[in-house]
Amino acid sequence: MDVVIALGMNGIVWGLIIALIALGLSIIFGLLDIINIAHGDFFMVGTVLAWFVLQTTGNYWLAFFIVPIIGFGIGALIEYSVIQPIKNAAALSIVATFGLSIILQESVRATYGAAPTRLVPPITGTIPMFGLEYEIYRLFAAAVSIFAIALFFGFLHRTKFGTWMRAVRFDPEMATAMGIPARKIYMVTFAIGFAMAALGGVVAAPITTVDFQGGVDILPFCFMAVIIGGLGNLEGTVAAAVMLAFFEGVMASFFDPTIARIGSLCLMSIVLLIRPHGIFAGATR
Amino acid sequence: MTPTKVHQLGIIALIVFTVAAPWVLPLFVDSFWVDIYSEMLIWSLLAASVNLLFGYVGLLSFGQALFFGMGMYGVAIGIAKMGLGFWPAFGFGTFLATAMAAVAGVFAVRLTWHYFAIITVVFSLIFYFTALSWKPLTGGDDGLPFSMPPIFTFGEDVKLSLTNTTIQYYFIALTVGLCYTLLAIVLRSPLGRAFRTVKENDMRASLIGLNVYLVRLTAFICAGFIAGVAGSLFAFFGRYASASYMFYHVSGEAVVWAIIGGVGTLLGPVVGTSLLIILREELSHVWEHYLLLVGSIVIIVVIFAPRGLGGLWHGLVNRLASRNDGTLDSSEETKL
Amino acid sequence: MTDIPVLEITNVEKHFGGLVALDSVNAAVESGKLTAIIGPNGAGKTTLFNVITGILPASAGQLKFQGQDITRKSAHEISRLGLARTLQIKSVFNGMTVRENLWIAAQSRDGVFKPFQRASKSKRANETADRICEELGLSALANQEASNLSYGDIALLEIGLALATEPKLLLLDEPICGMGPAETEQTVAKIQELAKRIDIVIIEHDIEVVFDISEDIIVMNLGQILARGTPKEIASNVAVRAAYLGDDDA
Repeated sequence: MDVVIALGMNGIVWGLIIALIALGLSIIFGLLDIINIAHGDFFMVGTVLAWFVLQTTGNYWLAFFIVPIIGFGIGALIEYSVIQPIKNAAALSIVATFGLSIILQESVRATYGAAPTRLVPPITGTIPMFGLEYEIYRLFAAAVSIFAIALFFGFLHRTKFGTWMRAVRFDPEMATAMGIPARKIYMVTFAIGFAMAALGGVVAAPITTVDFQGGVDILPFCFMAVIIGGLGNLEGTVAAAVMLAFFEGVMASFFDPTIARIGSLCLMSIVLLIRPHGIFAGATR
Repeated sequence: MTPTKVHQLGIIALIVFTVAAPWVLPLFVDSFWVDIYSEMLIWSLLAASVNLLFGYVGLLSFGQALFFGMGMYGVAIGIAKMGLGFWPAFGFGTFLATAMAAVAGVFAVRLTWHYFAIITVVFSLIFYFTALSWKPLTGGDDGLPFSMPPIFTFGEDVKLSLTNTTIQYYFIALTVGLCYTLLAIVLRSPLGRAFRTVKENDMRASLIGLNVYLVRLTAFICAGFIAGVAGSLFAFFGRYASASYMFYHVSGEAVVWAIIGGVGTLLGPVVGTSLLIILREELSHVWEHYLLLVGSIVIIVVIFAPRGLGGLWHGLVNRLASRNDGTLDSSEETKL
Repeated sequence: MTDIPVLEITNVEKHFGGLVALDSVNAAVESGKLTAIIGPNGAGKTTLFNVITGILPASAGQLKFQGQDITRKSAHEISRLGLARTLQIKSVFNGMTVRENLWIAAQSRDGVFKPFQRASKSKRANETADRICEELGLSALANQEASNLSYGDIALLEIGLALATEPKLLLLDEPICGMGPAETEQTVAKIQELAKRIDIVIIEHDIEVVFDISEDIIVMNLGQILARGTPKEIASNVAVRAAYLGDDDA
């Protein structure tokens, strides 16, 4: 039973981190109509940058502030140099981001190296919870994710820029006609997407490994969250990420984790075919 | 010279080269290039299956590796677990892939656009993980090796087998050649035109009486068949099957080959696949991080030449032809 | 001649969520007359065409084409029964030549699931494509990609696509919308000529053209049929004048 609780809790923590990453994927899809195959690698770049900050400054906490800012910058640069030019070949956007994924992975392999590293969490120690000793860092990771997600929703709903983003998503042509700078919105959206994935990387780095292939496993999971939650339904994405990770965590305590993954993927296919707008579609519209 | 003639000459040159390769290639480069060339031919078929779907029907599949893997496992399981001979195993692999495509297609082609790409990835991932975890049957991570049964035995002494490298090369070249011939026949048929019609405008296509769903499903099954043949051949070539060939990165690579070679042209995938495999073989020794170049090429092609090298080639030939005799022929017969 | 109407629309409704786009529409289109549907924007004219041709499923009611129930049939099945249409936003197969466009429409009658036959050997479809090219004056452009055509020629080609399917009933959705005066005249003449051998229902905003060419006019407003009659009757109908003719593009 302890194992079930532990894995279930790990699942929820992991789900919150995934939610943070998947939200970026979801807004990029919703606003730019781009399937971003490189999104897992955005996360991976975040973990590597976190490692880099730790190496140079010796202070992991700095990474929580610096890495999202660097991520925002890289994101804006990528949007300007790769995403903007392919706006007219939307069908091929998947292919371009696949190329981007290759470049990001290879750049990291060339600089950081191919060997995975484990980082020591900045907070060590455990705390008694539900009859077991639970790692404090994981609770902290969950708190940071929740905070960042809340910040994102606040930005989306409480700022002028957020309102513009929602307007562009709803009707790009109308928004442009009303004088909303759609070009700039696309760039900022993509940059925010990168920044959120990178922050996810900082949060997750101490509980997984830093590895140039670290994004490969994350990507399908993020897609599952986005699809099951409903493409473009941001609240749905968060809920689906947490539910899926919890479900896989609990399943993994009974079966092979691969079986749990297959179960999630099957669920995702069914949702895609029966309710392409996600399982929460009815509740939000 | 008309564009059609130029393309015919190109095809003849390619056939001559392929037939002569086992003798010609070792004169100029190391003889392992014959092996690499047969590998290129096999992989080009996987790219051709992506091309059939994307270039001719307008569906971008990111999951063709699933059918490639089915072909591989069909052959490997057929030989190693069921004790099948060469031909039955080949047939089983191809059948398994085609049947898989039929089942997956019934669901997948209900979706279009990005949703289609996603569901094809999902389907391939489901079976990738299944293959990984079903160790007794598939060998999981380690893969499933087998020993090559003979193609023909004639009495005690006469034995034809792929263990002879020349036979293996010609067997692969011939099979791949047959697949392209079959593809060319289908693409020139009414069905081939229906493919392009659906790609151009699916709503209009249904309004003139085409069953768009059935046309797409047919294309999906054809593409699955081609990928299945490629997978079966690759199993024979490598004497084993492995789940890693079903991962979405393999599908992604096939998409890249097809796009760089030029979608919507019959032989574009061969060009794209060959080019990138040559790049890999030549560059990876001198520059460990040659993939940076591959990624950049992919992005540059998508931005500046979305119709790939094949598209550039057709543009060039047509421009030269129209300069010569002033006619512009954009009919499909010339698009090879 | 039978006295079954070529198209029979019975209590057809179409809802989009809470919005009622078609509200219990009843109409029978008789053979041998050019019928026109007019009405302000948002009256439900195009939605009616979409429901008839199977692009959208009807929420309620029944549709019969030549006495046969087509309510639940899909777009391609309806096309195969001999009901063709054009779209308001001109739509052809852009990446294919004019001839290939017409060829595939003609071939759809004989079936396209023939993977081992050469397309260029399809005698009937070849002949139909050439005939229609000539009929519409597109022969000189036969080997041009449709994307290179002028707007007027695309509109003609779209009518050609419909004709190549050998329809018994042709629905035209604003065929002259966006055309210059010369193109309009040419297209109207073509439609009148076609009306002699094919039943035509036309949605059109240009009232002059409608009154000029049609023998039967259906006026729609707010998803309902407001009035119906000959051009003369419609012109003098008070309700129609108030709802439509009076305050529209006068």
